[in-house]
Amino acid sequence: MDWTTKSFAATIKTGILGTDVTESVVREAIARVKPYPISAYAVDMPFLPLAKELFSGSGVLITAAVGYPLGGMTLATKLDQIRFALAHGFDEINPSLSFSAIKSRDADELKHELEAMKDLVAAKIDIIVIPQYHILTNEEKLWITELILESGITGVKTNGHGGICLPEDITLIKRAFGDDVSLEASGGIRKLDDAIHLLELGASFIHSTSGCDMIVELDSRS
Amino acid sequence: MPHTTSSNIASMIDHTELHIDARYGDLVRTCLEAIRFGFASVAVHPVHVARCAKLLAGTPIVVDAAIGFHTGGFTIDNKAFEAQDALANGAGEIDFVMNVAALKAADYDYVSREMEALRSATEGHVLKVILETCLLTDPEKVKACELAVKASIDFVKTSTGFSTGGATIDDVRLMKSVVNDAALVKASGGIRNAQHAQQMVEAGASRLGTSAGVKIVEQLLGAARS
Repeated sequence: MDWTTKSFAATIKTGILGTDVTESVVREAIARVKPYPISAYAVDMPFLPLAKELFSGSGVLITAAVGYPLGGMTLATKLDQIRFALAHGFDEINPSLSFSAIKSRDADELKHELEAMKDLVAAKIDIIVIPQYHILTNEEKLWITELILESGITGVKTNGHGGICLPEDITLIKRAFGDDVSLEASGGIRKLDDAIHLLELGASFIHSTSGCDMIVELDSRS
Repeated sequence: MPHTTSSNIASMIDHTELHIDARYGDLVRTCLEAIRFGFASVAVHPVHVARCAKLLAGTPIVVDAAIGFHTGGFTIDNKAFEAQDALANGAGEIDFVMNVAALKAADYDYVSREMEALRSATEGHVLKVILETCLLTDPEKVKACELAVKASIDFVKTSTGFSTGGATIDDVRLMKSVVNDAALVKASGGIRNAQHAQQMVEAGASRLGTSAGVKIVEQLLGAARS
């Protein structure tokens, strides 16, 4: 596929999350990416209203990171964060699942978590869950993805903080679940050609803090 | 200089299991080790609090819940909610990550409001605020400690262990010099052996957050025997 700046930008989800990221840094980062028609932008919870305001009228979705990045919050706390996201008009959420439950193969706990989030959201906004493929075996990746899809959630973001998205993970999940799953490749994607490779393997979106740089590079090639 | 025998070091240790991929069995092992060695607490993610509280019932060891972990990038209301939820599930102590970005932006009103909200939400329980010192300048560390004392927080704590660095001797010494006797200092992040643990205590730490507690106590026991 020949990628244009516009078609590639439409696959890009980016954002600025971090312990020491201040409001002025958020404002600068958003000003830089705003000229491009990206898909979505993620910020830490306290900056969500600001991001909504800065992207007003752009069509860019604002993403709330829930239970991020370690997934170790209780379901009650994650639901409290989702209520905040819903109340402030956000467009999609990225909940980190309970990774301990995945590693312990606790299907009941995970089904409960997925169903509670889905019920609360009630189809008002998109849910793209993070299973952290980088800490899972292939068998675990297939198992949790099947549970996610069984819950009726179709959006999966491969990794959150600290993980590397492997091309073979995109191939594995797309071969197993085809178009039933919408994959957001995330984790360590820094180069334009790597992003294009992941898209061509079947990822629907690329999540990268280097998203803006990659769009600029593609723009400069044309 | 404080005495650092194996038993009094053990009683200062928050035995930590915060790995993203910890299995339920790892939590059981952590609790059993805490009982065996007489640690102060087990420090876990909130999702594990109820499980660990059940395992530690009838012992003096408390569950220490990590709140706003690890970026601290959540609203004040959500952190207060999470702390109360953890206490309701059986936590005895709360360690929360402060809004570091607000401190760095010199928004001290926000930092104070957050500290006061967490203090109010955890009344009657030990509360520790995590500064994430590796991201702060010395004046910012001093300011955070001053605000923590003003909010009547029990401990100022150096690090989450998930950022760019852990506790340093200099930071512990600096934090102790600011809080003096108005609060205690918890050193955490990168404390891997008995010598390092002893240095932290000598610098002013009253509590140590580490996943190497068993190794530290065994090293001290070995040294005492030889």
